[in-house]
Amino acid sequence: MKCELCHKAEAEKAIRRSVEGEEQELYVCGSCAQEVSREKKPSPAEASGETQRPSSPEAGLPPLPLMGMILDAAFEIVGRAANPQAEQTCPACGITRTEYRKSSRLGCPACYEAFAKELDAAVLEMHRSLQHAGKSPAKARAAWQRQQIEKALDEAVKGQRYEEAIDLRDRLRRLDHPETQGGPT
Amino acid sequence: MILNFEAGILSKKAREVPNSDIALSCRVRLARNLSGARFPDWATERDRERVFAQVRDALKAEAPEFRVEPVAVYEEQEREILYESHLISKDLLERAAGGGVAVAPDGSVCVMINEEDHLRIQGFADGLDMEAAWRAADALDTRLESHLEYAWSPRLGYLTACPSNVGTGLRASAMLHLLGLRLLGELDAVVRGLERMRLLVRGIGGEGSEAAGQIYQISNMDSLGLDERAIVGRVSRICAEVVRQEQNARVRLIQESPLILTDCLARSLSVLQNARLLATSEALEFLSAMRLGASLGLFSRIKVPEVDKLILTMQPGHLQKGSGLTLTSDERDEMRAEYLSRKVANVKLKC
Repeated sequence: MKCELCHKAEAEKAIRRSVEGEEQELYVCGSCAQEVSREKKPSPAEASGETQRPSSPEAGLPPLPLMGMILDAAFEIVGRAANPQAEQTCPACGITRTEYRKSSRLGCPACYEAFAKELDAAVLEMHRSLQHAGKSPAKARAAWQRQQIEKALDEAVKGQRYEEAIDLRDRLRRLDHPETQGGPT
Repeated sequence: MILNFEAGILSKKAREVPNSDIALSCRVRLARNLSGARFPDWATERDRERVFAQVRDALKAEAPEFRVEPVAVYEEQEREILYESHLISKDLLERAAGGGVAVAPDGSVCVMINEEDHLRIQGFADGLDMEAAWRAADALDTRLESHLEYAWSPRLGYLTACPSNVGTGLRASAMLHLLGLRLLGELDAVVRGLERMRLLVRGIGGEGSEAAGQIYQISNMDSLGLDERAIVGRVSRICAEVVRQEQNARVRLIQESPLILTDCLARSLSVLQNARLLATSEALEFLSAMRLGASLGLFSRIKVPEVDKLILTMQPGHLQKGSGLTLTSDERDEMRAEYLSRKVANVKLKC
């Protein structure tokens, strides 16, 4: 495969860079990779290694292991620390860790919370990211926004930050009645 | 249940599509699940039937032009035809209660219901027009989300039965015919390069299938961390580069190794014209060579879309539907050989 920047040399490495505000992954040759890394200042997330693979991010990509192996490894590491007697179960669907490991398929959406520790490690290994950056369904996004505002409102009231609480209450009202553009009442 | 399956992906190329001599078709699928419901593999029959009813109602409200049916209403042969046309997967073919399929009248969008996920919305396009495939799937997804409560988290995006699809739930794939690179012995290096770039390379039947006929399905590995447009754009760009490499390989074959090329074409034509028994995978290998020869203009009286149609219609479901008979495997091989020899009887190699 040719380098996606110079289109001449063979691509050797994967790099990420921002093009018109959009994060892109490009496969480039050694000299273009050096060129880009000279231009690029690391973002705070990159500097802390938050979204990078645990092994050296500039060293090129190792071949992807089979998904079952990734899951096994993730569960193995977390399992060592966990109590071997207690079989972890998803409270919503009742699927156990062992059942999930056998089939590589989760029981229900709530499994992502129930097995969060193991799954985060596996998801990071599979996708090299733990943060969704794409589309969101309007209803779910609105419900999540509401939840966040309610949480912040609760904290503001507890901390007696009443001006902030009034702002948050108004934001909740606007969510209920988006046509209302007026200020606080 | 009688369906007109002429909407099959391989059969609907009536117009000239850029790069379609190498890129047969492309697809973008979106995996979606309903909040609070077990994923299909762990659900009871009743759970799956409930999900099917919800999805059917949403489709009726938002896309009444779609034909929505449980998979079970189709005869075995018709299910095979849906599979051979790449509209449904092997898994859905075997799904009993709750499995369903919804197809747009023009075959450009298809929804598998209760496959690995509750919904698999698939947009199809000819050649490498992945953007069109994505727009079609995305538009239906947006219409359905007002009726369905999708399982979604702000951190992990759309929650899927297998963590390998979490995030956008998007898999963008193109079906590429890479016989030129194979004949030059350069295909393995290209496949390794693609895998290093975190692209999946599979056979014509998708996951776990062999690359019969040197037709490969190339798709993204990562579905989390990038938005839909970035994923589609990246797969599309890389596939376009592979198409360029295959074009280059074909030119070099003609210029530098004409004997390897013509030997392959002559042998394939000869077998197709004279064989008395042909299994599907074997026939696909020879039709693959016919396809290469037709795209290079080295055969008279046959063009790429006609070869593509033969690739589809010589498969077991289509073959049996055409004959109106249910045949054993041996009988199918005999009928396939007879059918193909009749179709290529007048074809001649020009060199």
